[in-house]
Amino acid sequence: MEESRRSFLVRVAGAGALVVLADPPLVLAQQAASAPAKADAPVPGTVSNADVLKGKDVAVFKLHSERPITGSVPAEAHDFDVTPSDRMFIRNNLLTPDIDAAGHKLAIKGLVDKELTFSVDELKRSFRPVTIQAMLECAGSGRTGFQPTPRGTPWSPTGGMGCPRWTGVRLSDVLRAAGVKANAVHVAGQGADFGAVPTLAPLIRSIPTAKALEENTLLAWDMNGAPLPKVHGYPLRLVVPGWAGSASIKWLHTLTVLDAPFKGTYMDDSYRMPRHAVAPGDRMPPDAVSAEAWPVKSMITSPTAGARYRVGEPVLVRGKAWVGEGSIERVEISLDEGSSWQPAQLDPRGDKYAWRGFRHLHRAQRPGYQTFLARAWDNKGNAQPLMATWNPLGYFWNSVHRVGVSIEA
Amino acid sequence: MLLAALAAAGVSAAQAELVSGPGAGLTTARCVICHDLEHIVRSRLSRGEWEDVLANMLKRGMPPLSADESRVVLEYLVSYYGRGAAPPPAPDTHAAAPGASAADPIGALLNTHACNGCHAIERKLVGPAFREVAAKYAGDGAAAARLAAKIRNGGVGAWGDVPMPPNASLSQADALALAGWVLARK
Repeated sequence: MEESRRSFLVRVAGAGALVVLADPPLVLAQQAASAPAKADAPVPGTVSNADVLKGKDVAVFKLHSERPITGSVPAEAHDFDVTPSDRMFIRNNLLTPDIDAAGHKLAIKGLVDKELTFSVDELKRSFRPVTIQAMLECAGSGRTGFQPTPRGTPWSPTGGMGCPRWTGVRLSDVLRAAGVKANAVHVAGQGADFGAVPTLAPLIRSIPTAKALEENTLLAWDMNGAPLPKVHGYPLRLVVPGWAGSASIKWLHTLTVLDAPFKGTYMDDSYRMPRHAVAPGDRMPPDAVSAEAWPVKSMITSPTAGARYRVGEPVLVRGKAWVGEGSIERVEISLDEGSSWQPAQLDPRGDKYAWRGFRHLHRAQRPGYQTFLARAWDNKGNAQPLMATWNPLGYFWNSVHRVGVSIEA
Repeated sequence: MLLAALAAAGVSAAQAELVSGPGAGLTTARCVICHDLEHIVRSRLSRGEWEDVLANMLKRGMPPLSADESRVVLEYLVSYYGRGAAPPPAPDTHAAAPGASAADPIGALLNTHACNGCHAIERKLVGPAFREVAAKYAGDGAAAARLAAKIRNGGVGAWGDVPMPPNASLSQADALALAGWVLARK
């Protein structure tokens, strides 16, 4: 275990990958120790969970774990056009680093004509900032909807996601400044987060060059008009909209252009789906593919499950629909558990990767328990399934969402 | 505020504990250095899934388990956090420190303070093996007191760059007992 952090990272990367990995700042290696039994005492160089939670609406924000910190809000707490920062989900794999923005650098390396380095200020001055509203969702969001429930963060059907506004520069502008070579295939991102022991694998993931060059893939420093909260990647992060959230590397310090997908545990062992569906409970087959863009999904944000109405009262069913790549064409509501469907009204289209609001006015005619199901369709003819395809790691749960209310005489 | 949020959120503010059974101590010690026990306590997985979890943890950087330790940990997880009905809680007969029983106060200290997360008796994990420490300070009459202070205050440098975190909740008497036990692992 005496091997240096650098040699460990090289071994993790695999002999075949053409990879140049950044050395994390020395101070991080020295600070990578923790008192395992003391959940509240922050490790030097990190932000405590208590400080992180000061930025969250704790009345609605539910923690799933403390180490690493994960948490989310329920569907009814998402009844906003733009996800407020205090309701944005948290999914750390390691600790929350406490980074001084003034000293932070982003390096662009690998298969580029010119390796470049920027401070956050230099990025702001050298490229045109843009602001977009874009969806970020953990690949495991909705995992508890699967039966049996696979291992991993127990997100509810509508936990582990949000659609805030991001301000940053386009990754495509920065990559073009560096000059992407013709044999580039993937772009890997690495952040400054670290764990309790120095052997912990860094969270390195890569995306195809086409997605890296898509104009909505950002190097972002701002969420909802304010600097990124520390837990959301301050001072700089990747935003890869619509894709598995782990591609959006937080506390970003290095981007490496590669001739193949990055070889590491967060690419090869996690974020994999069977190419052909397996039976619930089966293990991952050898033929597996990378989890990339979210399939079409929606949620009902109002009414809250269990709400009560009187006969004759209007029930305004509201929600959001989204798809990783594509656009929302139609949302339907069912009042009879899926036997029949009627179209909901869609809000006007927003930014390409933003969710799209829908609404449906129901007038309760009869007393009893009334359920509402919402099913979205994308522009390629894909609809949400009644039952999302089970997979061993519990990714991309996108079953039709259902909320029930009581109608009283 | 943190405690209120955690209580409201259903995550117990006191660290979750594993159900007592053969291997609970070892499983706790090996797992708790990187993440909280909620990850295990919330899980109900098949044998194959637990095998995959352990393999994944190794890939993510967990210090390797010996063959015996792997067997103990896997059987514990499959029995007490499997998809079938769990057996009733039983005494932990596989204490984290091989050779110490669950009734042994040293074994209890090693478990409670997660020493076994970074140290083993015979081989280096994150920190030196207890046997190596005993060899280094053999014949040094003042070593027990110095090591007791280091265990309580933390330290770095004698064995490498990785700091040993402080264990401020350890009493002087317990720290001396641990230091004495470590120095006897010759």
